[in-house]
Amino acid sequence: MPEPQTPHEPGPLSPPVFHILLALADEERHGYGIMQDVARQTGGVLQLGPGTLYGCLKRMLAAGLVEESDERPDPALDDERRRYYRMTRLGKRVVHAEAERLAGAVMVARTKLAGGNV
Amino acid sequence: MTPQSGPINMFCRIYSILLYAYPRDFRLQYGIAMQQVFRDRCREMARASGRLSKLRFATHIAADWLTTTVSERGVAVWSAGRKKTPRNFVTEWAVTIAIYLFATTTLVQAYVVPTGSMEGTIRVGDHMLVDRMTYAKAGSIGPHILPYHEPERGDILVFLYPEDIRQTYVKRVIGMPGDHIRLDRQQVIRNGRRLTEPYVQHIATYPDAYRDNFPLAPEANTTPRGRDMFARHVINGEVIVPPQTLFVLGDNRENSEDSRYWGFVPRSYVIGKPLFVYWSYDAPTADLEEWSLTHLLDVTQHFFTRTRWERTLMVPRSQSAQEAGGAE
Repeated sequence: MPEPQTPHEPGPLSPPVFHILLALADEERHGYGIMQDVARQTGGVLQLGPGTLYGCLKRMLAAGLVEESDERPDPALDDERRRYYRMTRLGKRVVHAEAERLAGAVMVARTKLAGGNV
Repeated sequence: MTPQSGPINMFCRIYSILLYAYPRDFRLQYGIAMQQVFRDRCREMARASGRLSKLRFATHIAADWLTTTVSERGVAVWSAGRKKTPRNFVTEWAVTIAIYLFATTTLVQAYVVPTGSMEGTIRVGDHMLVDRMTYAKAGSIGPHILPYHEPERGDILVFLYPEDIRQTYVKRVIGMPGDHIRLDRQQVIRNGRRLTEPYVQHIATYPDAYRDNFPLAPEANTTPRGRDMFARHVINGEVIVPPQTLFVLGDNRENSEDSRYWGFVPRSYVIGKPLFVYWSYDAPTADLEEWSLTHLLDVTQHFFTRTRWERTLMVPRSQSAQEAGGAE
């Protein structure tokens, strides 16, 4: 299980952590909501299992990338109370930095592959 | 409540047991949320159609569980480090290992089919996962947590061969306790009604009165248990299935050594029902019964050509026979 990175130890985020942060970028969500949003973002390629999801959330909480919001039911699912998560300011900075890094990597890839060698 | 809520509740209960493989702190903190998420995913899968996507979901959940139980344990040991006494460490791991054992011995079991007695439905070389919970006998741990039901006519069973319990057989249930069974020209007559069995394959290599018009009289390859069946449970040319036992036949009806030859399957010998084929490999019977070096070489050389890919994830189904209207 890759550890989430904080600004103190810069480096790429693992795909689950990156996509969980993206899922929380626009609104706070509960676990299943995060799962669905990650699947949507990646066109179903990255499907988080419950263990992966909560393992990541635990480490992201510890690293201060996300925080727990309140516990409330989701009227669209059932009347069970669910724990909601939201992104912290630190989380926002980290996901921004990661998006920049990935954009740079895509640029490099485009330039190198445009040569027609591949 | 959806019509699917029965099986979903069962899967959720199994999942709640599997959660015990996570470190205690992790489970207490996230266990309930993980169960919620698991149930939401199950409901999503119930709405989605397709056996393949369901199986993919099941393998995905299993893989997620296996990898994250190990990684969370590793993290827990790493972070707790010196604070923990060695004894705690051992008991924590013991719980995880116990859950793994529970999963592999109580829930499912891998099984390979060595003979062609179910050919037509199940082939020689099919490697299957067997569901051990459904028919778990009352009194064991299963039924208190999980719903179970009795085998029914038409169900495919995996069970211990009564003449030698080191062997595992797979056949189809034809007679329940109290049923009157006989065969007339290869067709089963159950309780006076002739059965039309869509799953049966008739490849008669030679006529055999014993096999095709059962029960007549014991012959050379009737086992001691078979003879006991003839002596005590055949009345007026029909076998009457005694309590707590089942009468089973192979789908490859003319090439199957089944209850006709060795008698009834005691209920307590039932292991479970086939879930799905995870690998089907074309190999001779002897190689499948015991792994040998030649078989290993054979598999490494011919894995791609002799694996029957189209059978992967195939689900052997229960099927009921049609009973003719008139009594015979």
